[in-house]
Amino acid sequence: MSLEIKIPDLGDGIASGTVANFLVSVGDAVEVEQPVLELETDKAVVEVPSEIAGTVESILAKAGDEVKVGQVIIKLSGDAAPVEKEEKPDPPKKEKAPEPEKPAEKKIEAKPAGGPASDVEIKVPDLGEGITSGTIANVLVAVGDEIENEQPIVELETDKAVVEVPADASGKVTSVNVKAGDEVKIGQALLVVSSTGAPAPAAAPAKAKAAPASESKAETKAAPAPAPAPVEAKSAESLTPEFSPSASGVPAPAAPSVRRFAREIGVNINEVKGSGQGGRISVEDVKAHSKALHQKYREGGVAAPSGTIAAPPLPDFSKWGEVDRQAMSKVRQKTAEHLSSAWATIPHVTQFDKADITELEALRKQFGKKAEAAGGKLTMTAILLKICASALKVFPQFNASVDMANKQVVYKKYINLGVAVDTDRGLLVPVIRDVDKKNIVDLSVELTEIAVKARDGKLSLDEMQGGNFTISNLGGIGGTAFTPIVNAPEVAILGVSRGSYEPVYKDGEFVPRLMLPLSLSYDHRLIDGADGARFIRWLAEAIEQPFKIVLEG
Amino acid sequence: MSDTKRVVVIGGGPGGYAAAFMAADLGMDVTLVDPAVNPGGVCLYRGCIPSKALLHTAKLINESKESSAWGIEFQPPKIDIDKLRTWKQSVVDKLTGGLGQLVKQRKINHVQGRAVFVNNTTLEITDNDGKKSKMDFEYAILATGSRPVSIPSLSLDTPRVMDSTGALELEDVPEKLLVIGGGYIGLEMGTVYAALGSKVTVVEMTSGLLPGADRDMVRILQKGLDEKFESILLNTKVVEMKEVKNQISVKFEGEKLENPEQKFDRVLMTIGRRPNNENLGLENTKIQLDERGFVKVDLQRRTDEPNIFAIGDIAGEPMLAHKASHEGHVAVEAIAGHKATFEPRAIPAVVFTDPELAWAGLTETQAKEQKRDVQVFRFPWAASGRALTMDRLDGMTKLIVDPESERVLGMGVVGAGAGELIAEGVLAIEMAANATDLKLSIHPHPTLSETVMETAEMLFGTSTHVYRPKRK
Repeated sequence: MSLEIKIPDLGDGIASGTVANFLVSVGDAVEVEQPVLELETDKAVVEVPSEIAGTVESILAKAGDEVKVGQVIIKLSGDAAPVEKEEKPDPPKKEKAPEPEKPAEKKIEAKPAGGPASDVEIKVPDLGEGITSGTIANVLVAVGDEIENEQPIVELETDKAVVEVPADASGKVTSVNVKAGDEVKIGQALLVVSSTGAPAPAAAPAKAKAAPASESKAETKAAPAPAPAPVEAKSAESLTPEFSPSASGVPAPAAPSVRRFAREIGVNINEVKGSGQGGRISVEDVKAHSKALHQKYREGGVAAPSGTIAAPPLPDFSKWGEVDRQAMSKVRQKTAEHLSSAWATIPHVTQFDKADITELEALRKQFGKKAEAAGGKLTMTAILLKICASALKVFPQFNASVDMANKQVVYKKYINLGVAVDTDRGLLVPVIRDVDKKNIVDLSVELTEIAVKARDGKLSLDEMQGGNFTISNLGGIGGTAFTPIVNAPEVAILGVSRGSYEPVYKDGEFVPRLMLPLSLSYDHRLIDGADGARFIRWLAEAIEQPFKIVLEG
Repeated sequence: MSDTKRVVVIGGGPGGYAAAFMAADLGMDVTLVDPAVNPGGVCLYRGCIPSKALLHTAKLINESKESSAWGIEFQPPKIDIDKLRTWKQSVVDKLTGGLGQLVKQRKINHVQGRAVFVNNTTLEITDNDGKKSKMDFEYAILATGSRPVSIPSLSLDTPRVMDSTGALELEDVPEKLLVIGGGYIGLEMGTVYAALGSKVTVVEMTSGLLPGADRDMVRILQKGLDEKFESILLNTKVVEMKEVKNQISVKFEGEKLENPEQKFDRVLMTIGRRPNNENLGLENTKIQLDERGFVKVDLQRRTDEPNIFAIGDIAGEPMLAHKASHEGHVAVEAIAGHKATFEPRAIPAVVFTDPELAWAGLTETQAKEQKRDVQVFRFPWAASGRALTMDRLDGMTKLIVDPESERVLGMGVVGAGAGELIAEGVLAIEMAANATDLKLSIHPHPTLSETVMETAEMLFGTSTHVYRPKRK
């Protein structure tokens, strides 16, 4: 029996990753839960454990390969049976149609066709008007989402318009095969859902299954290889829904071409309101209906930037000297995308200030041992976490997000703070949760742990999400001030530079004080300049007089 | 495995060959399995086409008689039955030969033989010499059609009792012909034989001819048939048939029968058709049949085997060639990955009698059964200039309209050339046209098509040639 290890569901819309390292080689015995490879995704390196036990028969990729969720990556041989699903709460069940290219080694699978759940590919529909391809503008669902029939799944940009492509099946998304920016063709699979509505009756005539096996000719004929493939694949397509009829019983007044268009994009023509004489439905009506459906499903979300400016073509740099082109790492790509989008969407203002940390620095040194004893390191960042958490309580508009689509401000009742960490692989921002509920020693311990994790590439995506405000401390390197970019959808970020002794005029004379430069960038859509100044001043005062934290925060 | 989809089409009738041709046009690797030299199926070899050739001659004969009223007198025709048969055959040969050419041009692999499913990806093909071979397929389209039903208790082993195939063979022109079944096949063949000189009796079990068609239209047709046929026996059953001295003696049972036992030279049985679902190895697949023996299919014409489709007569009523072709296209588009479905608003039905009778979409009868509120407008051809010039006032055009939206839901036509006129109704129904659309579309004068426009005008009480103020 041949067993397969596939790239599991990585959550959060991650459809692919790059193989960083294989942890096993051919011939190795693999146990359940044993990590078999390291996978680099947008932000993290993840260890992929095996769900099954066996001996590695073949490895189907190499380090550096881009692999997709659901892709078979290792084949195992052995008598070990796959672990029961109960063992792991959510191993993605990938009963995806076998790759037609290499069905040779595949045995006819004994699994009942059309069981309780079957995988259905949702494809790019015919868009009419001679359009053959488009670019994914937006993927509206993620792996793990439960989607409903007709729910928009991607926004597709064609030469003519941006069209929402609704699902034509319902179920749980098990893989997303495309990402924003991908060029896709009509008929190309967009995602796979594990359909709950597979109609295929499990009438399973054992006879039919037995037939090819007992057929002596089948064996001589280069293994029954291609046989099971089409059947599996097709059960997916058979899910063209029988749309419910119109309430009145009168067939929807739409021309055949309009009806066909509606079906192709997954719209029930009987639900479309026609704008023509006698309620006649036009293609435009169908599109409008689809758009409305899309609106209905969209929750929150920031309005897309109104047109990104295409970068001008690059000159030929080699004219002026030797160059070396290297692929951007995933982290770099993601950072570039994310920051461009934040920069383009958010009207930034940066407010500078300085805080006198002479006393605080003395305290830091005094209590440093305490933190060390607990396993942490009492850094300025750890202390700033606590101070910022208090500031966010005092200034709730800094602990918020802007929802332009719904013209709302989202105030958060929790305080999670991101900390920018410089790693070999680029900038990462792990998030520390409920900072307001932890003391500074706790925070110093957690910060130390998470920073180590970040540098080792062991952060999970979960640990990098859900932040409300970010601290970026470049003080360790130097500099006097900088203008950080707000980590959208947050609304503010605190930049910290290196503290230095400055002459401060105090009580009639200049005294040397240790001054910490602070740079607060904020989203001017939500935060007014005066509030920005108040916030950073509050921070500086709290740094100088930590009693403020207890007093007001 | 390449990307090319491998499709086998079983059956070369108008469903099968339309599917095979489209599949080839879409770049698929197509095999067509059919025992005949060229595609065509029942429709081309033993149905629509030969019967229409014969009905064309019947029309000519009828008109040559009618013309005496206009001052043009012809001698009674001399009928050379062998030559007529040869001509009919040449029509069939030409058309099927043309299809054979198209098969070659499209590089379709035509296997002459019969196919049986071994499982859902393998067929056993027995060629016409009895040689067996196996063939793997990715997709199959089942289009094996239907055949005439016979009643075992009335079956007589004699060429005098024919089915539609036998009647089209045109062995001779019997002096007396009994047609059992008042459906469209019986009436069409009865019309042919009546024109050739047979005395035709039609016997129908139910209370009317052409079950399903609106009675007001059938009435006009029946008036014409009453003149051409010897008699039409309704509510009458054939209970016994036996061969006696070169004739068939038939016993009837029914109301008001003047003569419950009569002798005929030939009997034509046209009591219905049944799907050809046997000897296909369907039991080796998950394909299911319904209680009437039709293969169960979904909207895409997909059977319970996701890679096997069924189209045409084997996939259900109405058993009409144009429905089969359309289904064939839907199935192929589904295989190509499109979300095509079979959801017509109107499948036109045409009876090529004299006069012709045709309908599409909702009939008045159906509207009554469904208790649906509709408005019905009838335009009598007596008000049509064109009908008058043809001396064919035995016609009517009718529209079934949604009272609220004025949308055309159904159309019926009885009269000369009704089969051609109905196409406009199909387009109107499919496009969800309303009466105003038909009224405002200029129709050519003088043609029978104007009757469609004028029927629509009746909704507004403004039909030019019929004075009927608006009902409210």
